[in-house]
Amino acid sequence: MNQTDRRFGHTELSPELQRSLRRAMRLQWITIGYLAVTVSLIALVMGSSQAMKAAWIEDMLSFVPPIAFLVAVTVVNRRPTLQRPYGNHRAVGVGHLVAAVALLVMGSYLIIDSAMGLIQGEHPPIGTFHLFGQTVWQGWFMIALMLLLIPVPVFLGRLKMQVATELHNKVLYADADMLKADWRTSLGTAIGVAGLGLGWWWFDAAAAIFIGLSIVKDGVSNVRTAITDLADARARTITGEDPHPLVEKAEAYARSVDWVEDAGARVRDEGHVFHTEIFVVPHEGAAQSPARLRELAEGIVDLDWKLEDVVVALVEELPAEVHGGVERDKQSEGGRASR
Amino acid sequence: MGISRKAAMTSGFVATAVALTVTGCTSSAYPADPDGTFDDVSGGTLSVGVVHHPPYVDATGAEPTGSEVELIQAFAEEIDAEIEWTASGEEALITALETGDVDLMAGGLTDQSPWSSQAALTRSYAEDTGPDGKTVNLVLAVPLGENQMLGELERFLDEHHPGVTP
Repeated sequence: MNQTDRRFGHTELSPELQRSLRRAMRLQWITIGYLAVTVSLIALVMGSSQAMKAAWIEDMLSFVPPIAFLVAVTVVNRRPTLQRPYGNHRAVGVGHLVAAVALLVMGSYLIIDSAMGLIQGEHPPIGTFHLFGQTVWQGWFMIALMLLLIPVPVFLGRLKMQVATELHNKVLYADADMLKADWRTSLGTAIGVAGLGLGWWWFDAAAAIFIGLSIVKDGVSNVRTAITDLADARARTITGEDPHPLVEKAEAYARSVDWVEDAGARVRDEGHVFHTEIFVVPHEGAAQSPARLRELAEGIVDLDWKLEDVVVALVEELPAEVHGGVERDKQSEGGRASR
Repeated sequence: MGISRKAAMTSGFVATAVALTVTGCTSSAYPADPDGTFDDVSGGTLSVGVVHHPPYVDATGAEPTGSEVELIQAFAEEIDAEIEWTASGEEALITALETGDVDLMAGGLTDQSPWSSQAALTRSYAEDTGPDGKTVNLVLAVPLGENQMLGELERFLDEHHPGVTP
């Protein structure tokens, strides 16, 4: 991997963030390697088990987020140009949406496929392997493999979640979240196959449906977050639950400037970094100059690495849809009675 | 997700796993047949469907003959079963496998058989040359999902190495 300076468009990254980013990239390569091994091993033993098929599909899909991340990091690295004046940060969001839709579609397919099998009463046949002169039921290999696969993703997921938070990267965060939950798939598959061995033919398909449901659930929540961000919702924390505290911080800073009477920010999440428009109402008769506006913008940029692209606009009164402080935010939230 | 829900799920899984282990120990066979085919045929009657396909199966006489017929006779002897032969067409026999009227089917089937979603095919027990001069892998068929039956038959085939030339 190259050790050249990584950046997010305009944004120069501090040495710590550069380290986090390299760590994230290394973790993604490790994930891809790990998945390549598991996908081959599962394919080797999966036979006709529906639950194993589900686990295999889930692992195949797990390739999408790390690849999307690695592609996005390369694309985001480019500086903004005339053609792409906002930079290429949206690559992260596009990657996120692609991964989320893949999850949703494959999860739905699995549920329908398994449910059809259940309705038609398909009894999955699982034969034997002939190894070193022994005839061994294939199901044992499935169960053993699935139990072996339990700890690794949990571990990888935890490591990724940490760097995802540092980098404010939602694709990485979603990826980590799914990996952390992956042990349920493995254990569910093992139990499905074990039940099949007892002669409960429906157990395998039932396990596959549960896996499908968990994939669909991941898909729905990820599609929602990805679309919300791509549709320029205001910046939120990495979990997507709360407004991002930097919005409040930027406004507070602007209000603290002596010539400013009131200020409100419109901040959108471009992927890693925020694009900020700060609307400023000056005091009656205060003299404004380009230099003062630049100073204000620079002050906000200095607040956090994520705030790089800041535009200051002078207005007579704040537009209705900008944040404009917690009090106003609460009023508008109450009016809409949502989220 | 809250800790309590996670803990609940974990304990649920553990409970299921324990239940599986316990019932697994008391059950006579693992893997077991959902419809109990192997239990029924061992020491009982093995209903075998055969398709005329020399040299594997010759169904023209009163009793079928051929390499696969001999193989099945040896298997039946090992599991102490009386054989009841049914000679018919492939599609009819596949249907009989699905309804459970036939426990085992033979007739020069290969691992490329189009019936693999209607019947459980064994691992290939021998190679031969097909009508087009290409190598084919010979298999037998049992009802779908009767995994003990499938496993026992495969074990028998592994141990007896029926050889390349039928």
